[in-house]
Amino acid sequence: MTLFSIAKKNVARNFSQYFLYMASMIFSIVIYFTFVTLKYSETIEKEIEGSQKIGSLMSGAAFVLIFFVAIFIFYCNAFFMKKRKKEVALYALLGVRKRQIGFMLFFENLLLGAVSLLAGIVVGFLASKGLLSILIKLMGYDVAAPFAFSWQAVANTALVFMIIFLITSLQGYRVIYQFKLIDLFHASAQRELASKPNPVIAALGVFLIGLGYFLALQDMMSDIWQTLGLLVAPMIILFSVIIGTYLLFHSFTGTVLKWLKKSETWLWRNLRVVTVSQLLHRVKAHATTLTLIAILSATTITAGGAVFGMYYNISSAVKQMDPNTYMFVEQDELVTNKVNRLVGDVEYNRTVQTLEQPFDYNGEQMAYTLMMQSDYNRLAHVHGRDEIHVKGNEFYVLDATYDERFSPAYNGMTLQAHDEQYEVVGYETYNVLNVALAYLTIVVPDDTYEQLARQKGATAQTFQVIVDANATKDEAKKIATMLPEDAYISSQFADQQSNVESIGVLLFIGSFLGLVFLASTGSIIYFKMLTEAEEDKAKYVMLHKMGVSIKAMRKSIAGQNFIIFFVPLVVGILHSAIALNAFSSLLAMNLVVPVCMWMLAYTIVYALFYVLTVWSYTNIMKQTIQSEG
Amino acid sequence: MALLDVAHIQKKFGKGQNEVVALNDVTFLIDKGEFVGIMGPSGAGKSTLLNLLATIDTPTAGSIVMDNLNLHAMSENELADFRRDHLGFIFQDYNLLDSLTVKENILLPLAIAKVKSSDINQRVQQIAQLFGIANLLEKYPVQISGGQKQRTAAARALVTEPSMILADEPTGALDSKSATDLLESFQHLNEAKQATIMMVTHDAFAASFCERILFIQDGALSTELHKGSKTRKEFFQDILATVATFGGGAHDII
Repeated sequence: MTLFSIAKKNVARNFSQYFLYMASMIFSIVIYFTFVTLKYSETIEKEIEGSQKIGSLMSGAAFVLIFFVAIFIFYCNAFFMKKRKKEVALYALLGVRKRQIGFMLFFENLLLGAVSLLAGIVVGFLASKGLLSILIKLMGYDVAAPFAFSWQAVANTALVFMIIFLITSLQGYRVIYQFKLIDLFHASAQRELASKPNPVIAALGVFLIGLGYFLALQDMMSDIWQTLGLLVAPMIILFSVIIGTYLLFHSFTGTVLKWLKKSETWLWRNLRVVTVSQLLHRVKAHATTLTLIAILSATTITAGGAVFGMYYNISSAVKQMDPNTYMFVEQDELVTNKVNRLVGDVEYNRTVQTLEQPFDYNGEQMAYTLMMQSDYNRLAHVHGRDEIHVKGNEFYVLDATYDERFSPAYNGMTLQAHDEQYEVVGYETYNVLNVALAYLTIVVPDDTYEQLARQKGATAQTFQVIVDANATKDEAKKIATMLPEDAYISSQFADQQSNVESIGVLLFIGSFLGLVFLASTGSIIYFKMLTEAEEDKAKYVMLHKMGVSIKAMRKSIAGQNFIIFFVPLVVGILHSAIALNAFSSLLAMNLVVPVCMWMLAYTIVYALFYVLTVWSYTNIMKQTIQSEG
Repeated sequence: MALLDVAHIQKKFGKGQNEVVALNDVTFLIDKGEFVGIMGPSGAGKSTLLNLLATIDTPTAGSIVMDNLNLHAMSENELADFRRDHLGFIFQDYNLLDSLTVKENILLPLAIAKVKSSDINQRVQQIAQLFGIANLLEKYPVQISGGQKQRTAAARALVTEPSMILADEPTGALDSKSATDLLESFQHLNEAKQATIMMVTHDAFAASFCERILFIQDGALSTELHKGSKTRKEFFQDILATVATFGGGAHDII
């Protein structure tokens, strides 16, 4: 029997430990392989033909993915190596040369990597079909997802992971040189010192986060943003929030726990004294990890929430821009008749006369699309808007893209044309004509309209406007083919489709990366806590001997894990709420419902990791107590 | 020529104001076939001394010569070979690999030394007989008791027939019956096979199985006790009397 065969046996018998490590690697490979498969997929390529943007978006996302997957694998590798410290140190003590141990770890790691790569590609191949159908559905297509196997994707994945595994294997080789043999003799010699939280640093952390929040909540047109500059201000926000978060975990939580320790009536009950002391040791030591998790959660929730919010709002955004089902420039009566026959009896189907009229406003030229009050009131009735009644030289503005910060102050504005003054008496933040064709619209009294139409300088245009509640996608396609190719047409369906396509891809990539980030943050805490479970075994055996029930210990474990898991989550959600608030006011979009849905989904998956961790932790403890007690 | 020659060793930890002298000018000899105990209050430097002999730590000054080899003039690889060929270790917490059977744990050092498998079998059987664990060979460490684990660890330390066995509180985690069994095995091994054993212990009872005891106090050798022709019980009383002279330290020792 050689050392090699002993090592081989050790791998086989410790399979559960190796399995966890391999499962993490396989997970990473599946994710990456699926993603590149989609990237190289011909189906997707055909469907989004000409959409260069999406292709480069996928490449960008793939890069982020590599970066993340690499960090994740390094993390798992470090955790795995730590678990084997005892075995490795024992080999060294029994006289195996360091080089030999290093080689053993190197090849073992490489072998595990190769097996994971194979398994990952097989699973990834099966998973990619499912994900492909999700993507196609999100993009609003009706095609079935084919089984796409791409050698390009295999080559790409294999190359990327070979490099990652080579690096981790070298790390494994190096690890043996970092072990001090003396640690084996008295492993518990290095005792953790209780941290002394500094209230000043804690206050600084809170202050920095507050500063970041304050800046983020200011309007982009505000004085502070203007002075700092549009590039510098977000940088300041990012830095102050990230550093503030770190200090928060480093000192603030410690300060709070220290303060809790003073409350003896609360503390000296059950295992609270153990729970709080353990946390006090932990929180500061894990400040970096907790910060990483808070920031990753914030990023995932913000990015995902923003994209999901946009996806969720597509219909209302399209309705805002395209109130009418179809609207096209009247050119040929024959075509119009054909369209009319096709759509049949609908809510509204008439021509609307418009004038594109330039005006002088404070010496500037501005063009508006004018429409008659009678036309407006008929359409307003269909769309459920209020009627407008203006007289003489009174104008009423319809601006669907109105934004307090950028739009002119309409009320009381005077426009001039042909030496005539017109006064804007009111405005609405919607339009009854499709914005792509009518831009900014002004409702004008019918007689004033006639007068202006007779003057020179205005361009008259007649639109066919159709509102059809029962319109179908097929109908929209047919109408598009009836009209000449260069016809000006605005169709709700076409706009909806193009929005769904581009935002659908964004949503897919966003949720995909979000899922990866979430799974990785979850696993990172899981691994961290289980490492500690191994280290704390003896404490729990002792507590058990002192007569503490398993139930009470489970409660203490659940409590400790709860803080470690949910404090960074709460911080992350707070950060993202502030960021999304800024985002929604930038886009003038109401994101409350979709963002809450997104946060809830994130929290639920995150909570699953919490449950799993508490369960595994308790199990480790129970097993130790059973075998030693 | 003595098997082990420790001459004027000194070990310091830390620097400047934080400097702690763990061992100061310690000198002693151990001959082949001796069973030596090292005793002393907590923090006296016992473990530091053991680490130096185990070649996992280096002294600040002085020399350690074992089997005519100067330990601290050797390279990393030479030390690995030295540990493999000359030393056997027994720890308080056994340090067995849970994934290997008792038999595999015992033969691990032989496998590392590339001994032929036919020889391995014979040697494992022999040593297992000696420690009374021959019927446990196919079991895993989690399936056996603490005493049996420690005897497995002892068998692993002895199977290569090392020049010297270093034991760090080997009875620390054992009940008195298991401890007595293990110590008797040591004694038997020492007498029958001329094995050289050096054992660090807190326990006066465990120490009473040794032939000679070196007492360390505040980093320096203070007293030496020889068993000579005394019975184990008389020697035990002697040890207790010596321990009592350490004053406040007596509580630490027993």
